Amino acid sequence: MNPAVSKPADLILTRIPVPPICIRPSVISELKSGTNEDDLTMKLSEIVFINDVIKKHKLSGAKAQMISEDWEFLQLHCALYINSETSGIPINMQPKKATRGLVQRLKGKQGRFRGNLSGKRVDFSGRTVISPDPNLRIEQVGVPVHVAKILTYPERVNSANKALLRQLVCNGPDVHPGANFVQQQGQSFKKFLRYGNRIKTAQELKEGDIVERHLRDGDVVLFNRQPSLHKLSIMSHRVKVLPHRTFRFNECVCTPYNADFDGDEMNLHLPQTEEAKAEALILMGNKSNLVTPRNGELLIAATQDFITGAYLLTKKDTFLDKSSAFQLAATLLASDDVNLQIDLPKPAIIKPKMLWTGKQIFSLLIKPNRKCSVFANLRTKGRAYTNNEDMCIKDSFIVIRNSELLAGMMDKSTLGSGGKANIFYVLLRDWGEDAATTAMWRLSRMTSMFLMNRGFSIGIGDVTPGSGLLKAKQELLAAGYKKCSEYIEQQAEGKLQCQPGCTAEETLEAVILKELSVIRDRAGKACLNELSTANSPLVMALSGSKGSFINISQMIACVGQQAISGKRVPNGFEDRALPHFERHSKIPAAKGFVENSFYSGLTPTEFFFHTMGGREGLVDTAVKTAETGYMQRRLVKSLEDLCLHYDMTVRNATGDVIQFLYGGDGLDPTYMEGNGCPVELQRVWDNIRVRYPCRHESPLVATDLVDGSEVLLKSTDFDCCSEEFKNQLRGFVEGRAKRITEVQSGWQNSSCPILKELERITLSQLIHFFHTCREKYMNSKIEPGTAVGALAAQSIGEPGTQMTLKTFHFAGVASMNITQGVPRIKEIINASKNISTPIITAYLENDTDQEFARRVKGRIEKTTLGEVTEYLEEIYVSCDCFLLIKLDLERIRLLKLEVDAESIKYSICTSKLKLKPRNVLVQTPSVITIKYQTSKDSLDCTLRILKDSLPGIVIKGVPSVNRAVIHEEDVGGVKKFKLLVEGDNLRDVIATMGVKGTKCTSNNTYQVFLTLGIEAARETITSEIKLVMENHGMSIDHRHLMLVADLMTSRGEVLGITRHGLSKMKESVLNLASFEKTADHLFDAAYHGQTDTINGVSESIIMGIPMSIGTGLFKLLHKYPFLDIVILCLGILRYYFSQLIENMAENVCLVHSLYCVF
Amino acid sequence: MAGVLFEDIFNVKDIDPTGKQFDRVSRLHCESESFKMDLILDVNTWLYPMELGDKFRLVLTTTLREDGYPDNPEWTPLDAECTRADSFEYVMHGKLYRIEGDENPKEPSKNKLSAYVSYGGLLMRLQGDPNNLHGFEVDQALYLLMKKLAF
Repeated sequence: MNPAVSKPADLILTRIPVPPICIRPSVISELKSGTNEDDLTMKLSEIVFINDVIKKHKLSGAKAQMISEDWEFLQLHCALYINSETSGIPINMQPKKATRGLVQRLKGKQGRFRGNLSGKRVDFSGRTVISPDPNLRIEQVGVPVHVAKILTYPERVNSANKALLRQLVCNGPDVHPGANFVQQQGQSFKKFLRYGNRIKTAQELKEGDIVERHLRDGDVVLFNRQPSLHKLSIMSHRVKVLPHRTFRFNECVCTPYNADFDGDEMNLHLPQTEEAKAEALILMGNKSNLVTPRNGELLIAATQDFITGAYLLTKKDTFLDKSSAFQLAATLLASDDVNLQIDLPKPAIIKPKMLWTGKQIFSLLIKPNRKCSVFANLRTKGRAYTNNEDMCIKDSFIVIRNSELLAGMMDKSTLGSGGKANIFYVLLRDWGEDAATTAMWRLSRMTSMFLMNRGFSIGIGDVTPGSGLLKAKQELLAAGYKKCSEYIEQQAEGKLQCQPGCTAEETLEAVILKELSVIRDRAGKACLNELSTANSPLVMALSGSKGSFINISQMIACVGQQAISGKRVPNGFEDRALPHFERHSKIPAAKGFVENSFYSGLTPTEFFFHTMGGREGLVDTAVKTAETGYMQRRLVKSLEDLCLHYDMTVRNATGDVIQFLYGGDGLDPTYMEGNGCPVELQRVWDNIRVRYPCRHESPLVATDLVDGSEVLLKSTDFDCCSEEFKNQLRGFVEGRAKRITEVQSGWQNSSCPILKELERITLSQLIHFFHTCREKYMNSKIEPGTAVGALAAQSIGEPGTQMTLKTFHFAGVASMNITQGVPRIKEIINASKNISTPIITAYLENDTDQEFARRVKGRIEKTTLGEVTEYLEEIYVSCDCFLLIKLDLERIRLLKLEVDAESIKYSICTSKLKLKPRNVLVQTPSVITIKYQTSKDSLDCTLRILKDSLPGIVIKGVPSVNRAVIHEEDVGGVKKFKLLVEGDNLRDVIATMGVKGTKCTSNNTYQVFLTLGIEAARETITSEIKLVMENHGMSIDHRHLMLVADLMTSRGEVLGITRHGLSKMKESVLNLASFEKTADHLFDAAYHGQTDTINGVSESIIMGIPMSIGTGLFKLLHKYPFLDIVILCLGILRYYFSQLIENMAENVCLVHSLYCVF
Repeated sequence: MAGVLFEDIFNVKDIDPTGKQFDRVSRLHCESESFKMDLILDVNTWLYPMELGDKFRLVLTTTLREDGYPDNPEWTPLDAECTRADSFEYVMHGKLYRIEGDENPKEPSKNKLSAYVSYGGLLMRLQGDPNNLHGFEVDQALYLLMKKLAF
């Protein structure tokens, strides 16, 4: 308690605060006479009433006991007034109906903090159902006229827009491009234009007046869909006012919003100032956000039908005659491009009939005419790629050269979202966002047109199996069932070879499950072979637009095994899953194998099993949504105020450094073209070679290439690049030089001029290459002010919603499950001390010897006495009675245990049984006897108790380790062994002889922190999150993970992202109060007399002031009184801003100089 | 003839060796008679059916004009002049986009050079001795002219 501000006496409330009536309004009731009073008013009136009662009792001289009872009651009501959920109220005094106390008004999702202060209701917004429109450009949103007439923008009259605004005012509020209000300069009164003389108002319009005009084409609006899980859930679009009543946008933009059109609604907000408009357009514009900051992959890209259409259009045997080629090309003529010139290429086939190929027409949408200066280049594998690069028989090697599609069918990998080997990605990175979005828009128009003309639908014929397939399926089923029953028989006879670490039952389940999944896969393959290439589901699966091969085979061939939490259907009845089967039956059908297809129809039992599987999915989704939502909220709350400062450090709101250089290299994950690196050198190299043919120059020889690049790297241009990047460049060029030498030596200096074409690189190409790389590197430098924390939180939280709550098998080791998915992420982020599946990976000193591995395993794994005894007997002879332990020496030898009778004796004596060494006798190497102990209990009883507890004694290994599995790996033909230890005790495992302690890792961050320290814990957090994400096929830039790990470990201990960890990380009361335990934090703050400096994001939002992140980061640090200095500063600032506009990336050093001046 | 880059007579050795992948297009594997060049060529077999053992004359040229002058790079709907195409049955237009060596350091004599041409997605690979591919340049626009020869 701060003595300067308060003293303990202040903690006793002597007067009750009564809020004004606007806080507790009384509502005139419609149903009954009188008014409905607020809960607070009611409570206050009760308090007043009890006070009166006490007063009356005092006057009437009632019993002291009665007065004290009333007193208690008053106390209770005062407590309820503040917190109506006060605990510890005696049952007879508990209030009958729940009321809302002051605390209840503040806390919770609908409370003051989260409901009214952190999120407010806004004006100038709209919400309606969404629908698709492929004719709209990527950056557009179609807004109903109805909405456009209500949303207004206050536009100030100037000489340029005066005539237009006059017209709008004349039109009034009911005609679409119109206006609703006029506010004259200097007046606060707004004139409503529905009534009165509009023409007169229009005539009186002066420069400086404000006209609240209707929403018009080209206005910038923010568009949003809940749940807003990442920054791409709210983006700015350009308005296109359209008839009808839905918001419309191009389907390509569905992915970032995660929207579909089954009745989804979306929100629209209209920024009200020019500044807000500008920021929205530059920072939130959906053209500027084609790429996700999670890993730099494309998010806004072709989807569904566009992919199908492009796939069919670019198929090798799609030929178009003159009329259809012209018609398709004409689809490009729309919107701003109505007057676009299209240069149709010469037809690919000139004779016998002029025919264009689909690929030629497709090329038009990247580069419609000769004047267009977009030269995109791409060489990549498609989804169905086989071999031989360009000559791939499935035509799935995509070659785009100077915006011309030369080979390959376009599919999801080259058109769709996710991935960087994408034509739109190339366009975006090399030719800017306009080129990319325009091409995308053209694609959506052209492909939907093509599909409409060609026709693409699905019918029962598409899923009808042929006779060959049915026969093949029957054979597969028969063979699979036979194998399964063989396994079941083997298991019944006890002949089944157990898998390592599994019981016979588990092994049987594993082999049957494997066998059954083989059946489905084979059936799927069989039906793929039989389907024609025109089969619609097949086309969709092949192009990647929708559905997978499994879906097809489920429709046509076989639905397959229904799994419930990764196992076959469990027994819901006595010893069976359904009463239709024999008890203990393990045949496929009894455990949920569906041999029918959706086409042939499911039998009743199959159908029931199928619904079981279906329900699991539903429950999963429901649970997952709630769980990930909370996780996301916690992540965002703890990371929201981390931002990048001008010195490239990441700091929190109070200025504590979290990272000295963001991500270790100061690069923005959004701009990573390669995997975690800013430039994909091979692609740039190829691109430069194609883009700049430089035919008049002679090619460089290898040595010149290396020397030239060295000179370029040493030039001042490259001073701004990191050494790491330069080395990467150097290495790459050396690789190319080596290749050139190889080619030359291969041809033995043959002088044929055409050989110069091989691996040709000229000097100016090299210069272009280095220049481009440098530019890309400088572009990828992260900008100061970036809210890196929020980005990291969203990058981890958002993919969480797509994960399924399932455990995965450890690669290669049967039966060793590790928690994965959302639960695992939760564990890591919470910094749980006890995780559900702790596993230590122990590397061995000798990792090629299996014997050695077994010995070490014996040392680590917990072995009890019971496991190595042949028998354990009570012996009663006339003179003596004792316990006899017969050790199974053969087993000890087989298990490579390093124990003998003496060591076992030691273990028995040091155990909790309190046996004295003189009572435990080693008779022979395999026999130990234990004499009875004198005790109060009878002799028989003691021996029995002893006999029961003896087998549980740990004779070897780490007590907390139940299992250790030898993991076999094939590294370059050599078998390598390592141990996977199930358990927490990292310290003991490291200390075990034969374990390479320097390489041991655990997946328990807390254990790693205890044994190896905070840096190791940080590393573990990063690698563990990465592992989980990779297992679910999601890639996240390592910089995000690093930031989370750095924050969690920044205080020297592992702090979880929970309310406990958060209260140690944050200082602001308002921030903590707006998170969880609102009242507790407020009471604490009051008690300690805390102050809040309002630095962070949550606090700023609550107080309604701009936050110091992003564009709110920079401020005038110090205003120096002398005028000349001020002028100097202004000069520097002006210089700085001009530089800023020229090159955003170079501003760092300038800011340094700024700091120096100040 | 000016503008002619390559001319030879080929024998169709194989059609779609790995099974037919596309309805209207087949991949021919051919070998030339005089220069011993290997040729892989995608042909629209609906328009121009080819059969195993067919023998055809193949000409690669940069222009269709009889006088050998480079022709108009743009396509114009009205191109009905008398051209080289008149004496051929099947004519395609495309672009040479890649020249790749197939080195064999041990036996330089077996080295082969491959030229890849894409006729709007119908691919051609001409492989053989570098001396026969004289005048080939990357980014060259090419015409392929074919005519079956009677036995």
